Amino acid sequence: MNSVLSSILSWDFVASGIRVTTPILLAALGALVAELAGTPNIALEGTMLFSAFVGVIISGFTQSLWLAVIGALLTGIVMSSILAYFSLKLKTDIIMAAIALNIFASGGTIYALYLLTGDKGSSASLKSLVLPNIDIPIIKNIPILGNILSGHHILTYVAIILVFLIQYMLYKTPLGLRIRSVGESPDAARSVGISVFKTQYTALIISGMLASLGGIFLSMGYVSWFARDMTSGRGFIALAAQALGGTSAYGVALGSLLFGFSEALSFSLQFLNIPYEVTQSMPFIITVGALAFYAWNKSRNKRNRDI
Amino acid sequence: MKKILVVLLIAVLSLTLFGKVKVALLINGTLGDKSFFDSAARGMKWAEEKLGVETKVIEMGYNPSEWEPTLEDISDSEEYDIIIVGTWQMVELLERIAPLYPDQKYVIFDDAVDYSKGNLQNVYSITYKQNEGSFLAGAMAALVSESKKFKYSVPDKKIIGFLGGMDIPVINDFLVGYIEGAKYIDPEIKVLISYVGAWNDPAKGKEFTLSMYRQGADVVFAVAGETGNGVLAAAKEMDRWAIGVDSDMQLLYEEKDMDIVKHTLTSMMKNVDYSLYRAIKLYLEGKMPLGKAEALGLKEKGIGLADNKYFREIMKSDPWVLIKLKDIELGIIRGEIKVPTAYGMSNEELNKIRNSVRP
Repeated sequence: MNSVLSSILSWDFVASGIRVTTPILLAALGALVAELAGTPNIALEGTMLFSAFVGVIISGFTQSLWLAVIGALLTGIVMSSILAYFSLKLKTDIIMAAIALNIFASGGTIYALYLLTGDKGSSASLKSLVLPNIDIPIIKNIPILGNILSGHHILTYVAIILVFLIQYMLYKTPLGLRIRSVGESPDAARSVGISVFKTQYTALIISGMLASLGGIFLSMGYVSWFARDMTSGRGFIALAAQALGGTSAYGVALGSLLFGFSEALSFSLQFLNIPYEVTQSMPFIITVGALAFYAWNKSRNKRNRDI
Repeated sequence: MKKILVVLLIAVLSLTLFGKVKVALLINGTLGDKSFFDSAARGMKWAEEKLGVETKVIEMGYNPSEWEPTLEDISDSEEYDIIIVGTWQMVELLERIAPLYPDQKYVIFDDAVDYSKGNLQNVYSITYKQNEGSFLAGAMAALVSESKKFKYSVPDKKIIGFLGGMDIPVINDFLVGYIEGAKYIDPEIKVLISYVGAWNDPAKGKEFTLSMYRQGADVVFAVAGETGNGVLAAAKEMDRWAIGVDSDMQLLYEEKDMDIVKHTLTSMMKNVDYSLYRAIKLYLEGKMPLGKAEALGLKEKGIGLADNKYFREIMKSDPWVLIKLKDIELGIIRGEIKVPTAYGMSNEELNKIRNSVRP
């Protein structure tokens, strides 16, 4: 019991929570941008998966990290473009198109993996690279602060910076204003001369690129290979984190942290005498609890205002 | 005398010319999985080379709706003496189709048909005693964990770990063998147990394993499919030990990442290749136990720890471990050591075993 408690109250636990949060946060930011533009991006899962795959393959064959990252981002753009073409141009249901993309990613990655490497389960035999962890020079020597701030994966820092960037972009730039107004009321936006198509397309592209960063975090950070369906629903959890976090990037970051840390908690709690089904469903129980609290809080505020 | 010789010669000639035994292996998936199916195909190759039979491997793909018509077609063609299928997914299909072709001989590996349903006298089922192999893995984990001579061990903690895919009988059969094997070396040893609840999530597998290492475990046995490979990544990161499963993980990663190979002690393998080779050999000798399920253990080489150069290199740190393992293996083969199985075990019994090693 004591060892479990001490493991929860440790920097390793914090680090673990941050690791779990990172891919969810990146994808959740993508979900936020798309959601605000009125084009919910359910294809995050497939985009992450395909980018994870492309990153590994490019780094394996070219031994260049830059090319791998660029390739992964391009994958995100391509996936989103397909989604945008189907939903915005051909006017298919965006949810349907996204589901098709997710299924395509699951099978397509394995097929491509087989063509390129001859493997079908994972890219275990391909010598691919990983993105580095970063030690911040001076800060890493400060006792507690160093533990919290330094030594994380480079994409974790990117994710943190992106939270602020996305927030700024959405609420302080013309593009953000256009995205939000198109999402709020496309007809009103159109009437003042905003191109709905262009704005939604841009939002989807940004969303896809964010998701692809989340994808390569899995295959080039967490582990050093691509495995069949390795995103394991993180794209969908990101959607939930976004729903939890509302319309601001900070809220989305909090939602992702809640998911990430409750999952990290479930890793530590598994050694207590609790049935493991309970620890496994911990992240979801906490989420339902948080949602209930959020709804209750909101309705109470509303009632107060009504009075 | 001469006559007999001539008859014999003709018999032998006709056997080689016309009567070559033909075997079909139907894979409910595709080759290239670096695990079961590749192993099964290797067994076919051995049989072809050493036993002179003719074999054909048919990849049915991952779409279950194609399996039944393929199995029916091949059975209907009467072209093959033996048809081999594998894994639990084929059990029901075989139970339905085998009785329709009573003259056709079938082999199923890694699961058994339900013989009480009757009319399955033409099916030979091969299962593997993963509990025996896991017993060895557990004993090895305990020995390495408590020896001061292995560089990634934490001998004073006496904790090892087990990462399972899901809480299901087959995984628990691994678990029970592992725990008993570890307790055989040191009755006081503690085993951290976790189930990830996913087969395709190496990132989560890694995170679970890191958590076990942080609690003091120094050897973790991964029985969770692709998720289990996360254990290897965690071992590399934390400088601890991992034990792989199903196929030889060290050979799988040798071209990619020697660090992973050096943090992997060995892998507990189901020798599908050898078991199929053996089945064909038994058939040629007329001894194939049709109408029966046979569980192959260490004695029949159906299961065992992977032995390769990296494994031997690591074991050089303390050769006594190898001697002790050999001793245990012989003990199991001779029946002096009884390894319990999770099959047919009640939940209370299982929990009792789990609790006996809880830290």
